[in-house]
Amino acid sequence: MTKPVSTEFLPHILEPVGESVALRAKGLDFFYGKTQALFGVDLPIVRNQVTALIGPSGCGKSTLLRTFNRMYDLYPGQRATGTIDHEGENLLAVKDIAKLRSRIGMVFQKPTPFPMSIYDNVAFGVRLYESKSRKDMDEVVEKALRRAALWDEVKDKLQASGLSLSGGQQQRLCVARGIAVEPEILLLDEPASALDPISTAKLEQTIGELKSDFTIVIVTHNLGQAARISDNTGFMYLGRMVEFTPTSDMFMKPQAQQTQDYISGRFG
Amino acid sequence: MTFDRRFRRKAANTLFVGLCALATLLALSALGLIMWSLLKQGFGGINLNIFTRDTPAPGSIGGLRNAIVGSAMMCGVAMVIALIVGILAGTWLAEYGGDSAYGHVVRFLNDVLLSAPSILVGLFVYELVVRPFHGFSGLAGGVALALIAAPVVTRTTEDILRLQPNALREAGVALGAARWVTIRKIVWRGAGGGLLTGGLLAFARISGETAPLLFTALNNQFFALDLTKPTASLPAVIFQYALSAYDDWRGLAWAGALLIALTVLSINIIGRVIIARGNTRP
Repeated sequence: MTKPVSTEFLPHILEPVGESVALRAKGLDFFYGKTQALFGVDLPIVRNQVTALIGPSGCGKSTLLRTFNRMYDLYPGQRATGTIDHEGENLLAVKDIAKLRSRIGMVFQKPTPFPMSIYDNVAFGVRLYESKSRKDMDEVVEKALRRAALWDEVKDKLQASGLSLSGGQQQRLCVARGIAVEPEILLLDEPASALDPISTAKLEQTIGELKSDFTIVIVTHNLGQAARISDNTGFMYLGRMVEFTPTSDMFMKPQAQQTQDYISGRFG
Repeated sequence: MTFDRRFRRKAANTLFVGLCALATLLALSALGLIMWSLLKQGFGGINLNIFTRDTPAPGSIGGLRNAIVGSAMMCGVAMVIALIVGILAGTWLAEYGGDSAYGHVVRFLNDVLLSAPSILVGLFVYELVVRPFHGFSGLAGGVALALIAAPVVTRTTEDILRLQPNALREAGVALGAARWVTIRKIVWRGAGGGLLTGGLLAFARISGETAPLLFTALNNQFFALDLTKPTASLPAVIFQYALSAYDDWRGLAWAGALLIALTVLSINIIGRVIIARGNTRP
């Protein structure tokens, strides 16, 4: 007999010691209209590390991620309260959202190449904020594609449509596009869920290499993926941040009962 | 009993498919007959004179040059206005205010305009442009045609933009692009083929319109490039010549009708090809 999953919440948020924090959510509530989706979420995102957000479907992982770049602002009726501290500023109150988003990039679940050439896809974000010479732009594009581990596959067809690439390549193109603008933080919303195992492995390798330059937050359904690539993991359940610890601790000795149940496959 | 039911099902199916085929045949044969009579009566009249000479006096040699040029100019004016208004209005409906109360009103009124009798549009523009400026003009004709084309463009623009995945908008915005930049550079681009098709369909729609031109552009026996003066148009010339008692005028009317039909047909085919190509793109 499985006992019902407890809905009592005793958050175990382990404060990272001696690390620089890039983002910090405090008492974050989120509402879709009248429906509350996040309840008092506290979470530190450590600089230049990979933070994974895990939890069953509908627990609020993606919602939380989408507060970090104010993506919810596109939709009337969605709102967040509480604070997300970003360099001493409450990100939820920032006025110049476009500028904010250029510093906090995002890659989505499904690949979203723009209907333009591979080159223009990568250059798109850069052109928004800087006008570069052709030669400088070539360098930026090449560098971004190399870091996203896509350069060797596309270097001979940069003028081909981004839509002509395979799903895995398209997703790495989206990563390249996201890092070309040199954001500090990269948000990844289940980036590998639409990819085959080989593409997933390539993407995971890419993420591992990127963390020296970027702070990465990744939402994933794949616990193995969280264990492989992340330094810290947050476990969410029913809109709460139940547990946040270094990843090894999370999987070796989870503190909260719900975390234990989830990672041992009792629900999810 | 099972045999009986199977038989009934088969019979009902055959009957239904048969009726569908019959209805299709009816519609197609009407189109075929129109094209056939147009080709039979109009093809003989098509020669170089049509494009190089103006509408003649009865009994003398002439062509349709003034009408063709007049139609092209007025359709051009109409399409410039309709594309600007229609694409912006459709974009607003799809991307910004479409779900607001005002948006619903705008969409409803657009649908009303879409099916408004074209002669009313002609009368409206007569009051709006012709009377205040004391005279029929090609510009007034262009405005009347624009009023008919703009709702078509608005509608297709909204429909096409709504088909664009939301993920594309989010991806653009996530890079730090303003909403408007995202729409212009990404969403419009993704919808390019569809927007072009909307424009072509609107053009096809107005190229044969007669009623709105009768009150606005009137007609002109002579070749004129001045759009502030009465302007000739193919539909108006067809209307006038087809009702006349002169065989050569009626011949010209048939030739003009064939020209319009072929133009509309080829524009529609081009539109379909663009849509088909857009759909097969990976």
